[in-house]
Amino acid sequence: MIFTAILIPVLAGLILLLGPEWKNRKQLCGFTDAALLLSFLAVCVALGTTKENEAVTLFNLTTGLPIFFKIDGVSRFFAVLTGILWVPAGIYAFGYMEHEWKEKRYYGFYLLSYAVLTGLDFSGNLITFYLFYESMSLLTLPLVLHNGSKEAIMAGLKYLFFSLAGAYMVLFGLFLLNRFGNTLTFTAGGVLDAALLEGREGLLLAGAFLMILGFGVKAGMFPLHAWLPAAHPVAPAPASGVLSGMIAKCGVLGVIRTVFYLFGADFLRGTWVQQVWLVLSLTTVLLGSMMAYREKGLKKRLAYSTVSQVSYILFGLATLQWEGFTGAFLHTAAHALMKCGLFLVAGAIIFKTGKTKVEELSGIGRQMPVTMICYTLLSLSLIGIPPFGGFVSKWFLGRGGVNSGLPVFDILGPAVLLVSALLTAGYLLPISIRGFLGGEESVVRPEKKEPSFLMLAPIVLFTVLVTVLGICPDKVIGYITEIAKVLIKEGMTG
Amino acid sequence: MEIIRNFPAAAILLCLFAGIVSSGLKPKAAKWLNHALIVVEMALNLCTLYYTAVTGEAFVYVMGKFPAPWGNEIRAGVLEALLALFVCGVMLLSLLGGEKELEEKVEENKLFLYYVLADHLLCSLLALIYTNDLFTAYVFVEINTISACGLIMIRQTGRTIEAAVRYMIMSLLGSGLLLMGLCMLYDLTGHLLMSNIQESVARLHASGMYGVPLTVTIGLMTVGLAIKSALFPFHTWVPDAYGYSTASSAAILSSLVSKGYIFLLIKIIYRVIGFEVFHDTKIVNVLFLFGLAGMIFGSLSAIKENNIRRMIAFSSVAQIGYIYMGIGMGTQAGMVAAIFHIFSHAAAKALLFVACMGITGASGGSVKFQDLTGAAYRNKLAGAAFTAGSLSMVGLPLFSGFISKLLFAQAAVQNQGKMLPALVVLAVSTILNAVYFMKTVIRIYTPEQSPYEGITWKNQKLLTVSCVLLTVLNLHLGCLSQSWENLIMKGLGMFA
Repeated sequence: MIFTAILIPVLAGLILLLGPEWKNRKQLCGFTDAALLLSFLAVCVALGTTKENEAVTLFNLTTGLPIFFKIDGVSRFFAVLTGILWVPAGIYAFGYMEHEWKEKRYYGFYLLSYAVLTGLDFSGNLITFYLFYESMSLLTLPLVLHNGSKEAIMAGLKYLFFSLAGAYMVLFGLFLLNRFGNTLTFTAGGVLDAALLEGREGLLLAGAFLMILGFGVKAGMFPLHAWLPAAHPVAPAPASGVLSGMIAKCGVLGVIRTVFYLFGADFLRGTWVQQVWLVLSLTTVLLGSMMAYREKGLKKRLAYSTVSQVSYILFGLATLQWEGFTGAFLHTAAHALMKCGLFLVAGAIIFKTGKTKVEELSGIGRQMPVTMICYTLLSLSLIGIPPFGGFVSKWFLGRGGVNSGLPVFDILGPAVLLVSALLTAGYLLPISIRGFLGGEESVVRPEKKEPSFLMLAPIVLFTVLVTVLGICPDKVIGYITEIAKVLIKEGMTG
Repeated sequence: MEIIRNFPAAAILLCLFAGIVSSGLKPKAAKWLNHALIVVEMALNLCTLYYTAVTGEAFVYVMGKFPAPWGNEIRAGVLEALLALFVCGVMLLSLLGGEKELEEKVEENKLFLYYVLADHLLCSLLALIYTNDLFTAYVFVEINTISACGLIMIRQTGRTIEAAVRYMIMSLLGSGLLLMGLCMLYDLTGHLLMSNIQESVARLHASGMYGVPLTVTIGLMTVGLAIKSALFPFHTWVPDAYGYSTASSAAILSSLVSKGYIFLLIKIIYRVIGFEVFHDTKIVNVLFLFGLAGMIFGSLSAIKENNIRRMIAFSSVAQIGYIYMGIGMGTQAGMVAAIFHIFSHAAAKALLFVACMGITGASGGSVKFQDLTGAAYRNKLAGAAFTAGSLSMVGLPLFSGFISKLLFAQAAVQNQGKMLPALVVLAVSTILNAVYFMKTVIRIYTPEQSPYEGITWKNQKLLTVSCVLLTVLNLHLGCLSQSWENLIMKGLGMFA
């Protein structure tokens, strides 16, 4: 069933890419829509029918290095999240891409990317993960390059080189793990072999650090974040949404797999790797917020915000403590929904008015009330105000920092998160304020420019989901705590 | 079954005679003879491979029934047969892929010469692979050089003649050094057959006599072959030779000819000098360093290039660097990685050169980057094939390049002193590779209104066949590498 879930979008994507041009746009969209829904359905069926930790081997790359899939708690979480993001953003694209060229190519690569992400979520070992991770970089590249302008190509190249640099750092760790670990299969608690390890801890720590840094590239972690604010905004809006919402999280997934399933949390706890990791993630949180605050273009501002917010997640993981871990997962979900929603709003504004700069948006709220109300709610959530999803996740992240038991970081971490939250309010809310209150008062009846239903529905859906996540997060928290129990033994209070 | 023992010798002689016969034939007949010949060669080598794999040991074929130490011998093991089979296959695909270009660009009355040269080149490559006699190896090294020169300048423009002269000078320097080394070795040991030399060298090494001359000899032979296989910094002939010759010539030269010399070097290391002795001379460390330097500087030069053919040529310099790095590790694992990379690089580079021809063909024959924009839309098949070759070079899993990197890294991790430099340079070089190959791929996939006409697969059937088969070969090496690795290990075991 896992194969089917990956195969459906691959086939549909290939049909679109290799097949002839479609004369009827409606049919093209219908086909893509059906393929997306069918793929998501297949993923759900795969999740339902496959037993926990049942391995499905595709073939052996070399002896001892099989390409195989397996489903555990983390894969379930990410697979469902991917589907929830990918399908609505795809539907949004049917409205948005009307004025873009080469729609067929876009949908083709969009479907292929979905297949690759599914493979990534279900990967059972590091080699498989690496395979899909590299493919993901390559297949999402056409989404970045879509409009073919010089700016887009430069951004695409930047994206590619940073991704490949990151991927090689991961490969470096892979080679070390292959030598000093028992297996490359993701195993809760790590795979390191104590006997082989004797006296090589320093080397292995360096390998772990490089892997975190390498996966951190996709997550936009300082110092390898420079590609993100360039690449995410140049893509068409729905692609920006999923790039920020989901692709950046794949870096997070890589870090989770590395830290908790290959090296093991205990191996890294209290080492320089953890310290440097904490410092880097906090730096990124602050740096991203400040850059976003200064940025004038709306989409670029959102991209900088992604840099900052994804590092919240990394900070939560870096505490190696269950509350931080829970916060990280919650924020992964919440940020995916929020940021994707915000990018879709930005896309709707561009689509309807052609305005891209923040200062041009005075009075936009009167023209597009529903869109801007959603924007405001999503912003409030991103800042971390109850009762939205962003509040719950930040609450756990903060607690994780305070209870981490690490000197300095238990105060510094939450403090940085708070300062960054203030900055977040500073760069998001003025748009709402000016949008609803600014502009020419004399216009009594502003022209309505609300986008079509196809574009509006996903935005509203994401807003609703974030609110639901904020109001009743118990189920999700319980689910994540179960995962955390297995991975982090220390400091669990039940 | 016993008759198979004659096959390696028959394969070599058959090529020789086919070449001679071809010189009296019309171009078309020469072409068909050449293709038929290669198919027969593949069959012969396949039988040899099967025979050696089943019997599990190498066999020696005594030429003309003169016994050692006077006679001339051929020796075939699994690795030799595998490489010979591979060489024939890649050569056929390269020739098929470039056939149309040959017919368009080479003068009608010279076309038959191309196939004469190709026959002789194959003959010399097979001889280099199979021979057990050092002097025979030298003779065929020269034959190889001459035919390669002919292949480079078959299309007579100013640049190709200059490139051929350059190639000739560097190559002769290389074979000169090899000859000097060989003479000294003959002087030291009194033998020309590899097995006999090895015994004497082992004795000399154990007794500690003639330590310096022995080291000098090994150094001369290594450097000679390194020049001929374009190890950095002896690579200056590469960009012109591969960049301006026809696509088939470039594919054959970069993926097969240089590999023939490297294989001869590996044979010398194992069968003439002895692995231990070679390792003790510290020449491995020099090879390791030059290999690392080549990996970086080859790629840097490739990034600067504005000519796609020369870019691919410089990439070869980097890849040869990989192979020498593997040899330079001085371990069995490193050697396996190096030999695997011989296969992997040959498959990928032949694909790149052939696909590149399709791309430039759809861009008015221009090799400049600015003219290639959007070429992959004009020639979809070549574009896809070029992308596949590039991904293999960059090292995406499922392609052969990834397995090479994996093997190199595994070898490096086992080698205490050389681990860090090897891994770091491997990393940098991978990224540099990605820089220029992905840059090219993005360019050929950037849509543009172009004055050039598109080409569909119907107009280029042979190129299609060649590209598809080479891509499949790359994927096969990448996905089912274990069987190749096993054969290589088995073959190395038979060297002893």
